[in-house]
Amino acid sequence: MDDETDFDVIIIGAGFAGAATAFQLLKEGIEGDRILVVDRGEPIGSKNLTGGILWGRELDDFEEFLGNWEMDCPGIERCINHKKVGFLSNEDALFVEGRFASWDGTGGTDEPSQRSSWSVLRAKADAWMAEKMEEAGIFVMGGMKIDQLHIDGLDHSSYDARDLTDPAEDSGTGSAQKWKVDNLPKELVDKIRNGTIAGIVQDGDVMTSKAVVIAEGSNSVITRAYHFDSMLHAQSKDDMLLGVKEVIHLGKERIDERFNCFAGDDERPPSGMAMELALSLYRDMSHEAWEKYPNTKGLYPRCGGFFYTNRDTVSCGIIVQLKSLPEGLHTYDLYQAFKSQPAIAALIEGGEAIEYGGHLCPEYGLHRMPHRFTRDGAVVVGDAAGLVFANGMQIQGMNNALHSGKLAGKAIAACIANGDLSANALDATYTKSLKASYIFRDLKRFEPATKFLNNPANFTWVPELVGKTANRVFREIGEEKVPAEKVLRQVRKEMRAENKANKKGMGLFGMLKLALMGRKL
Amino acid sequence: MSESIKLGLFTYDIKNGLGLIGYNVDEHEHAHIIVETSKCNDCSHMMCVWGCPAQCYNFRDQGLKEMKFQYEDCVECGTCYIMCDQGAVSWNHPRGGFGITYSQG
Repeated sequence: MDDETDFDVIIIGAGFAGAATAFQLLKEGIEGDRILVVDRGEPIGSKNLTGGILWGRELDDFEEFLGNWEMDCPGIERCINHKKVGFLSNEDALFVEGRFASWDGTGGTDEPSQRSSWSVLRAKADAWMAEKMEEAGIFVMGGMKIDQLHIDGLDHSSYDARDLTDPAEDSGTGSAQKWKVDNLPKELVDKIRNGTIAGIVQDGDVMTSKAVVIAEGSNSVITRAYHFDSMLHAQSKDDMLLGVKEVIHLGKERIDERFNCFAGDDERPPSGMAMELALSLYRDMSHEAWEKYPNTKGLYPRCGGFFYTNRDTVSCGIIVQLKSLPEGLHTYDLYQAFKSQPAIAALIEGGEAIEYGGHLCPEYGLHRMPHRFTRDGAVVVGDAAGLVFANGMQIQGMNNALHSGKLAGKAIAACIANGDLSANALDATYTKSLKASYIFRDLKRFEPATKFLNNPANFTWVPELVGKTANRVFREIGEEKVPAEKVLRQVRKEMRAENKANKKGMGLFGMLKLALMGRKL
Repeated sequence: MSESIKLGLFTYDIKNGLGLIGYNVDEHEHAHIIVETSKCNDCSHMMCVWGCPAQCYNFRDQGLKEMKFQYEDCVECGTCYIMCDQGAVSWNHPRGGFGITYSQG
């Protein structure tokens, strides 16, 4: 193998997508010392945060490097066999709860009985994964932020990295915003956007490679700067979610007890509970905010709540669609409302918050993917490529990150063997396999779900209606029993009378439409 | 607690929350976010203030006449860069080894 370049492949980002690419390259026969993985975290993992649940058994493919990852990886916390979804309003909470023996691998049912979802803490998991990469002989460097990509034949000092993403001095406002990059010489910009990517630049030093893999995650500065993404300089708030969460320490025994978890033994990891909720906690807060800031009158924050058990902590947080945030409401106060809801407060009682954090999550769907996944000499994988699936019941990104990394590893190894790393060659391998994979099939099939999810009804009156109805149907206060359907109609009537905003949304036609859309979930 | 639910008012103790996070703060000259605060005066929405999960932006909501930005508590999420449509935010990740260090994630 010729050693004209410093490395065969340089991978930016040691998250799941980057690690999967590296391991796959090893499996395809690329030497470990020809692969460099860089990450800006020191230690690796310290920049990462997830809700979060890892779905599927993608990591099994790397057993030769990871061994018994389920039992040994410190950030893979509990195997989820207990799932709850529900509706939360200020006073009522209604959950649908499932416990599945086949999910913890002990079931004798017709379902495939294997563990397939885990609560995850990424700072720990990524650090462990980086160790495993090093053990496998891969070069891994933490604490290294990549300033620029090295473009073949272009002097990197001829422009500054920030020039590509900064607003222009006289930027204008709103949709008419101008950007610095538009003031750079056309020829230079063309080279930056279309030249062959041949390595990375860090602190003025160039490291060359045959291929660069961009696995930088959801806050994808490089992806946008180097124009994989469409003409957007900043990501759009239309398709980004912000997650805000706390990790709350409860202690292992208390979690086992409170959530009825299996404690774990030599063969099976501890089991755990995962809960995702539609929230209508924000009506009063929003009305108050509108009074002070009438600009965004009518806007309710569209938030989902999540609650996951880790080994001795729980991850408790919300995820909010940025475009639905009205003026006057801080995102962390939205979290406080969730945490204070009596049903949630009871779950974290006696616990102590040990970490707080926030992280973006792309919700691109098919309508707003990056306009290309490859350039000459480079590919984008994982969250940076927007490969996240969201249907309201769940948000999946980590398994997609692992899967896209594998596809990229396979494709790049094949392209290196053929001596052709052009965008065309990478498209014919990587992009093609990506589009044929379950990642894209899922995104396609559930595209109509986005419409349903963005319907404000789900974040205002639906959870309240469901909660109130259930409250009355289940409760016995010594009065004559009323059929559920009648209760529902009565609650609807009351809610419409009580709140003008519900008048339109809760019309029969509106409800029917919503129900029809909901079938597509 | 039940009383505050009726009011619909909730306040997260953000100072306490941020105190739970580890940081290795870089020097001012290497601040990873630069905000041209003069552009904020004409901004009608202050969406950076509302979006930022780390209260790095303080403005009229705090009774201030001028935008006051500080990068030290930043969790590097990128929300402000998305929310700002005034061209005031220059955003990049901190230098390697600096900034937030989650220990749980």
